[in-house]
Amino acid sequence: MVIDRKLRTALFAVAGICFMSGLGWASIPLYRLFCQATGLNGTTQRGLVAPGAVNRQIRIDFDTNVAPHMPWKFAPEHPSETVDIGGRDMAFFTATNTSDHPITGTATYNVTPAQAGKYFTKIQCFCFTQQTLKPGETARMPVIFFVDPKILADPDANDVQTITLSYTFYPVDSTKAKS
Amino acid sequence: MIGIKSIVLAAGLAMLSVGAAQAAPAAPATKAVAAAPAATVSQDPMLAVDGAPAMAIDPKVGQPVDGLITIQPQVTPNGQQALWFHNTLLMPVITGICILVLVLLGWVALRYRRAANPVASKTSHNTILEVLWTGIPVLILLGLALPSIGLLQAQYKPAPKNAVTLKAIGNQWYWTYQYPDHGGFEITSNMLKEAGEIGKGERARTAIDGPRLLATDNRVVLPVGVPIRLITTANDVIHSWAIPAFWIKLDAVPGRLNETSFTINKPGVYFGVCSELCGARHGYMPITVEAVSPAVFAQWIKAKGGTMPGAAPAPAAAPATATASIATPGAPAPTAAVVTAGQ
Amino acid sequence: MTDTALTPSAFEAHHDDAHAHDTHEMSFFARWFMSTNHKDIGTLYLIFAIVAGIIGGGISGLMRAELAQPGIQYLGYWASFLPGGEQGLDHSLHLWNVLITAHGIIMVFFMVMPAMIGGFGNWFVPIMIGAPDMAFPRMNNISFWLLIPAFTLLLASPFFGGAGNGWTLYAPLSTYGEPGPSTDMAILALHLAGASSILGAINFITTIFNMRAPGMTLHKMPLFVWSVLVTAFLLLLSLPVLAAAITMLLTDRNFGTTFFDPAGGGDPILYQHLFWFFGHPEVYIMILPGFGIVSQVISTFSKKPVFGYLGMAYAMVAIGVVGFVVWAHHMFTTGLSVNTKMYFTAATMVIAVPTGIKIFSWIATMWGGSLTFKTPMLWAIGFIFMFTVGGVTGVVLANGGIDDYMQDSYYVVAHFHYVLSLGAVFSLFSGFYYWFPKMTGKMYNEFLGQLHYWVFFAGVNLLFFPMHFLGLQNMQRRVPDYTDGLAHWNWVASIGYAVMAVGMGVFFVNLIWSLLAGKKAGDNPWGEGATTLEWTLSSPPPYHQFETLPKID
Repeated sequence: MVIDRKLRTALFAVAGICFMSGLGWASIPLYRLFCQATGLNGTTQRGLVAPGAVNRQIRIDFDTNVAPHMPWKFAPEHPSETVDIGGRDMAFFTATNTSDHPITGTATYNVTPAQAGKYFTKIQCFCFTQQTLKPGETARMPVIFFVDPKILADPDANDVQTITLSYTFYPVDSTKAKS
Repeated sequence: MIGIKSIVLAAGLAMLSVGAAQAAPAAPATKAVAAAPAATVSQDPMLAVDGAPAMAIDPKVGQPVDGLITIQPQVTPNGQQALWFHNTLLMPVITGICILVLVLLGWVALRYRRAANPVASKTSHNTILEVLWTGIPVLILLGLALPSIGLLQAQYKPAPKNAVTLKAIGNQWYWTYQYPDHGGFEITSNMLKEAGEIGKGERARTAIDGPRLLATDNRVVLPVGVPIRLITTANDVIHSWAIPAFWIKLDAVPGRLNETSFTINKPGVYFGVCSELCGARHGYMPITVEAVSPAVFAQWIKAKGGTMPGAAPAPAAAPATATASIATPGAPAPTAAVVTAGQ
Repeated sequence: MTDTALTPSAFEAHHDDAHAHDTHEMSFFARWFMSTNHKDIGTLYLIFAIVAGIIGGGISGLMRAELAQPGIQYLGYWASFLPGGEQGLDHSLHLWNVLITAHGIIMVFFMVMPAMIGGFGNWFVPIMIGAPDMAFPRMNNISFWLLIPAFTLLLASPFFGGAGNGWTLYAPLSTYGEPGPSTDMAILALHLAGASSILGAINFITTIFNMRAPGMTLHKMPLFVWSVLVTAFLLLLSLPVLAAAITMLLTDRNFGTTFFDPAGGGDPILYQHLFWFFGHPEVYIMILPGFGIVSQVISTFSKKPVFGYLGMAYAMVAIGVVGFVVWAHHMFTTGLSVNTKMYFTAATMVIAVPTGIKIFSWIATMWGGSLTFKTPMLWAIGFIFMFTVGGVTGVVLANGGIDDYMQDSYYVVAHFHYVLSLGAVFSLFSGFYYWFPKMTGKMYNEFLGQLHYWVFFAGVNLLFFPMHFLGLQNMQRRVPDYTDGLAHWNWVASIGYAVMAVGMGVFFVNLIWSLLAGKKAGDNPWGEGATTLEWTLSSPPPYHQFETLPKID
């Protein structure tokens, strides 16, 4: 009977291992969900309708990066804008493929300061999908967004004067290209 | 260093007359500018003709000093607050704890050695004592946690509107910098090698550039007294942008942007190092910041081909409305402040 | 203590493997390579740890030699021994990263853990709870033998380019910054070592929960057993997360996944979260058994029971639990939000409370005792003070606001070497001298033991204390060269290394001399203070102890 007791304890231990292992793997989607829910790391939100402008402005800076060795030019049309909090706004970026072959890219993004992530809401963004540019092609890429007026009620974020929205374009098959 | 200092001094005096009169008012002589022949000062006020940096370095500030056991002098308000927290609260507390434990151990070893106390007591409980040595540390830690949280709040205060944005991009193994508010020009900052190690066309480090492994060919120039918004990212692996004299260390992570802010309150040259392992030459990508008066900063921006946002001395009071997004021109890149100035 | 109170089931327990074979019937190969005996396996672990310690310590010797003076002195020469020969500065600098990576991984996974848990845990947990052996003797054997290929993989990796990512293996440096098979080899080495530790953890938990002698309730177990129990739980819950994280590294490296690659929507910071979710409990895994050893030693040489036994046991449980919720204090500069930083600052400080309880309880154990300062006691007292020093710098580093200065500097290096190289290693030596007579049946040489202590004590303090100053003057970690303004304290630290190395020389002389010519040790050389069950057995204990189970009052 001792053997049975031992086995039972060991099985509990194995269950614990499996659980933690599962948690390790589940952390990938969980972390994403957590970031989206809390705006951790300046993760932006997605929304459908802007709630309407309130009488406060905030400056939005646009920061653009392109992965090294990716032959794209990528820049905001205006590096900085001042917008009404709560109002729907649209900004354009231009991307140019400077190579002689079509390239598909996808952009990562976040905002700083990180505490603004919870309130920076995108309605539409070129970064939600992959973008393909033909050789030499230039495209105007829009992002439609608003800053949630709830930011004014958050003691950690209501003194934010400038939000920087940052994009980094990566080639889609970059992992293969590396090896 | 003495010899260099006097050269610097002389050249600095010469520069003062050349430079904008109101520009460099309070800069002490040692922090003045060294240009090889003062007559042929280049357009870039931070650079001498041969490309060597101009501002002289205080060897006691902004870099390690041999044999010292203290934190580097701090030149930002947050740094001074943190330094106070460390020196006035943390150090006495931790030293006190160590001495307490040492004294207790010494006393016990002496008083209860076998020769002095042949028969051991069997006491193994004392509730009051146990409550005390749980409770008192809790109180001490609470006493430390409050200023610690205050410090974090100060460090996380977002940069105000008139802040100057500096973007630092980590690469294997150098830093590139952009000034998004000033036309987005880019400078690349490489470590200066020693005379024996340089390749063709490279400039070797000299004493006025700064210490070995810390000096760079292009210093980051920032204004004093103006809040700086630092944003960092990286092109390949994770790097970390650090200037100890500012109490700033911020990782540069590929694919995302990080932000912090600080205000330098003393002109000078400050050195830092990449502080996250980033491959073979991790120890060879230093960071050099030259803090100058706002007027000199404006000159430098101009010399680099950048633009100052709007009428520089009048920081935007009331921001523009949403129409600003159309109004701001792109390429010459004065930012929203231009619009606000026009309002 | 030796009352026979056999229940039928208990009798069966030792019947399983007790009578089948005895030492003198077994061939050398069968005894040491197919061992199912917890003491033999413990001995194997200890030998392994000593070998790994020599290699890991030798690597740190290379590092201190290079760091003794500014400039690169030896790296190029050393690099010329690796395949491809000398290939310029970057090759040499890469070798440096390989050295620091190897030093970290070896000391953590192949020295401290095998010695603490595999060595002393295997040897004394079954004896201290009055059990004949571990719950799963064959699995115990597998646990040990998994370490051999793991260590081989790690040691071979420098000949395939070398893994220079640091022991933390941060992505993306470890995913695309380092092509070639060596990083994969290092990752597989960690997998195997991790599997070994997980199996060991299952074994210890099962043993401690099911095989205690009659009357040995959980609240009567010696504190060393408590410490191993808590450690086993930490291993069980943290290692699977590491395994998942480094498996993702492997697939990112080799199969085109993008868990940590921003190009594919991954996040390199997530790797750091996963790593430190394992990594912080890991530092307690390394130190908790040390707490247990020190508790036994202090009690023995004070001739007093441990003060506040329950507080001591549950302080370890508390440290273990809190250890799981403080991981991001290793990531204070990665761009955490202010609330996250405040939480991790506060949570980290909480750990100081149970740690303080332990420190003061050890002192209270000595208070009123009748102290003898034999070598194990010296190491234990040294441990208390050195761990305090390392602990209080931990309180400094716990402050998220302070870390904008300290992160990744030598201050951090000084801190974790004070808690590990002076904490964990002191407790290892304490345990080694304490149990040496029991394990071998021979006494160590007291004079050499004390000489070892004092020389080593002076050496490591000279070695690591100046690192605080280097950190405050801002020398960053993981660099082979530094600016000239850091020369003085680096030189002092390198001298400290030499002194420490002399101390280790004394240790090895003592070890060999004692094994060959040591005086015969009695069953209990430490007298009335030594009250745990191992001292009721002969020295060395019989191949199968407790054929009749002891009964604890």
